[in-house]
Amino acid sequence: MKQDSIQRPLLEVSNLTLKHRATSGATTILRDVSMKLHRGEILGLIGESGAGKSTLGNAILGLLTPEFERTAGTILFNGQALESMDERQWDAIRGRRISAVFQDHTASLDPLMTIGAQLEETIRATDGNVSAHQARARAFDLLVRVGIPNPHERYASFPHQFSGGQRQRVVIAIALAGTPQIIVADEPTSALDATVQKQILRLLRELVDETGVSVILVTHDMGVVAEITDKVVVMKRGEVVEADTTSTILDDPRKGYTRRLLAAVPRLRVRSCEQSDNRSSTDREMGSDAEAPILIVQGVTKTFSGQGFPWFRKHTRKLALRNVSVRLARGAITGIVGESGSGKSTVGRIIAGLETAGEGTLDIDGTSYDISLPGQRSGLLGRVQMIFQDPAVSLNPRMSVAETLQESVRFGSRRPLGARPDVATMMERLGLAQSLLARYPHQLSGGQKQRVCIARALLAGPQIIVADEPTSALDVSVQAEIAKLLKEMVTEQAVSMLFISHDLALVQELCSSVYIFKEGVVEDAGSSEFIFSRSRNSYTRSLIDARPRRFTY
Amino acid sequence: MSIITTVGGRLSQAFLLLLVMSLIGFVGIHSVGNPVYNIVNIETATTEDIRRATIALGLDQPLWQQYLLFLKNVVTGNFGTSYIYHLPAFDLVMSKLPATFELASIAMLIAAPTGIMLGLLAGRRHGSSVDRNVLKASVSALSIPSFWLSMMLIMLGAVILGWFPSGGRGATVSLFSREWSFLTLDGLRHLTLPALALAVPNIALIARLARSGTIEMESQDFTRFCRAKGLSSRRILFRHTLPNISVPIVTIVGMQFGGMLAFAVVVETIFAWPGVGKLLIDSIQLLDRPVLMATLTFVSVAFVGLNAIVDLFYAVLDPRVRLSA
Repeated sequence: MKQDSIQRPLLEVSNLTLKHRATSGATTILRDVSMKLHRGEILGLIGESGAGKSTLGNAILGLLTPEFERTAGTILFNGQALESMDERQWDAIRGRRISAVFQDHTASLDPLMTIGAQLEETIRATDGNVSAHQARARAFDLLVRVGIPNPHERYASFPHQFSGGQRQRVVIAIALAGTPQIIVADEPTSALDATVQKQILRLLRELVDETGVSVILVTHDMGVVAEITDKVVVMKRGEVVEADTTSTILDDPRKGYTRRLLAAVPRLRVRSCEQSDNRSSTDREMGSDAEAPILIVQGVTKTFSGQGFPWFRKHTRKLALRNVSVRLARGAITGIVGESGSGKSTVGRIIAGLETAGEGTLDIDGTSYDISLPGQRSGLLGRVQMIFQDPAVSLNPRMSVAETLQESVRFGSRRPLGARPDVATMMERLGLAQSLLARYPHQLSGGQKQRVCIARALLAGPQIIVADEPTSALDVSVQAEIAKLLKEMVTEQAVSMLFISHDLALVQELCSSVYIFKEGVVEDAGSSEFIFSRSRNSYTRSLIDARPRRFTY
Repeated sequence: MSIITTVGGRLSQAFLLLLVMSLIGFVGIHSVGNPVYNIVNIETATTEDIRRATIALGLDQPLWQQYLLFLKNVVTGNFGTSYIYHLPAFDLVMSKLPATFELASIAMLIAAPTGIMLGLLAGRRHGSSVDRNVLKASVSALSIPSFWLSMMLIMLGAVILGWFPSGGRGATVSLFSREWSFLTLDGLRHLTLPALALAVPNIALIARLARSGTIEMESQDFTRFCRAKGLSSRRILFRHTLPNISVPIVTIVGMQFGGMLAFAVVVETIFAWPGVGKLLIDSIQLLDRPVLMATLTFVSVAFVGLNAIVDLFYAVLDPRVRLSA
């Protein structure tokens, strides 16, 4: 191969400027963006929400909606100008030359079609000469290649019969079906559990090395960038902040913004302290036993009845929780860690009285509640306040901030009236300007919305707060602020908190003790120090190992 | 196991529904007036005649006894004899059924494909002039009273153009020992106008439903993924969007079909179409209690049956319903 052909980029974006037109006026989404992608390369596009990274991905795929208008710049692919193509020309590019993998593996696949049919459909759409038989054979090959076990058995299965990781593998197989030169992967692993995320990233790397396909990896996660990319483009508010090789960006970032992004990534400490050897195993016990725990949950078992059409439903009762016991020390933050489907959120909702459980007991501050009854009947509802993952959907869009908070003060409190914190002080403490009181949720940023959710929970005057992934829907830099705020609030407002998360580093930072959940069972438990440094539980270890090496020490 | 319990549950629900419906119908028609005065000739009848007629019809009994007698007869499959026609009431309903059934079916055969196509088209080009026109047309179609629409159709199709007859059933052919119009050319010509009159509001309803479903589907990730993987927009629309929006459409088609079987009164009256709806309204006017009860029972059974069919369709359409996870 000539030196020349290696040097020439496969895709070159130069000085691209895009505007978004709305009735309220035009906003610039991308300003003067340039980047180069070479053959067989994984390029990371990183930035926080609103950075324009997904818009750039869509522009490369020709999937921009008509409201977007290019005012300057070019996208050159193999010497062809993509930006001036019409739909007919795009049909020759999309799927055949440039393909895509999206974040939400559930929404990417047609739920009513078997995965085999969806693969064959793509193969036949992208290659007119292929026979039905050949298409089927190639579909099998692709499924084998992306690591679907027993492809012959799974060929006629529907998307919902696969796990999340397998679905994303199928999506990758479909993306590969037209033998493209570029795959635009928009947050391909963000919806997956850490251990699965690692496998999918490894698969992408293998495919790049084997087939020479190039990947544009759009992500907000520095861990993903560190794991597999060759080059990185850092974006902020529609502009390129910095572009370089991955190692340079990680080790020697030039720009302050890049440094801040890197610093905001929570680090996991796995090396145990020096004195750990001479400690006995008794520190597996959590917290001090001097005071009785504020919350004792014991032997909770819950089953979900099977889903599906009643006439066809087999008896598919699923055990969601099996004999789960959790204790929460007064004034402490206790972490519950697990992957999706581990039952960690179910436990949180049972404690908050939002769900019932078949068996088990629950005591708050010495009072027992019957968790087999709905929250209203057992009197549990309102005792424990919740902070949910996505502040965008957990606030009533028709209520202003003031209305939301006042409702909480009026109906929530179980404390004596005098001790009730007032809205203004709480707003100020949480760093929310008084002028926000009149606003509605859609007029707030993600971080502000989550602060309002925290204020709402605290104003109800609870003894216990259950925070279910309260930072997962937020940008990295905002995540750190919210985490810090939660920690301060626990001390200041004298509440205790159950912190449910899949993010080990965050749990380590906040929590004094940790429960590891796996498939509805408490798999491992102990003080934070014990779990992260000395636990020998193989599942706990695998969770820790799934973290990007770069951000553990 | 669970199939039996589900079917059992459904049947008991249907039973309860029929019981409540019959009670309401019974008490309702009793409170409207005394049927005897529609049966005897008021001008000539003596008090004795009226008394004998009342006893002959069992109307001298207290209402609750009449109701129990009615229930007892229904269990043995006997709805009684029509006060007016002196024919078994159930046979009377059954004799009107083919006319109603073919009218409703043809109306739905026109409405469903047309509505779906218009909805897909409008939703695909959300915000375009096609979309706006479909929306406007559907609003007017839904708000036009059906008697006015029927008369306009008669004026256009029968009076001005003279292509279609203005009423009646036309020639019929016997099939399964029932008379059907749709098998003869003349019958089809007679069917066209009333079927259109019934179809128009349904077209509008289905088009709106398909449109909003399509708009929602277009914004979903998998249609975006379908485009990214290189499928043509036509294939995406018919192979991916259409199946995914069909569950609410099937529901509304089922319900509307049931409605047309029972309550196409206005259209059937205007086009002199001898269907169930017309029978129902006539029997209410003439206080023909056996026929009314038989018609109402048939309508309830039809709705329960249609609901079950719609449920089965869900399972056919959606593998998530069909196969338990």
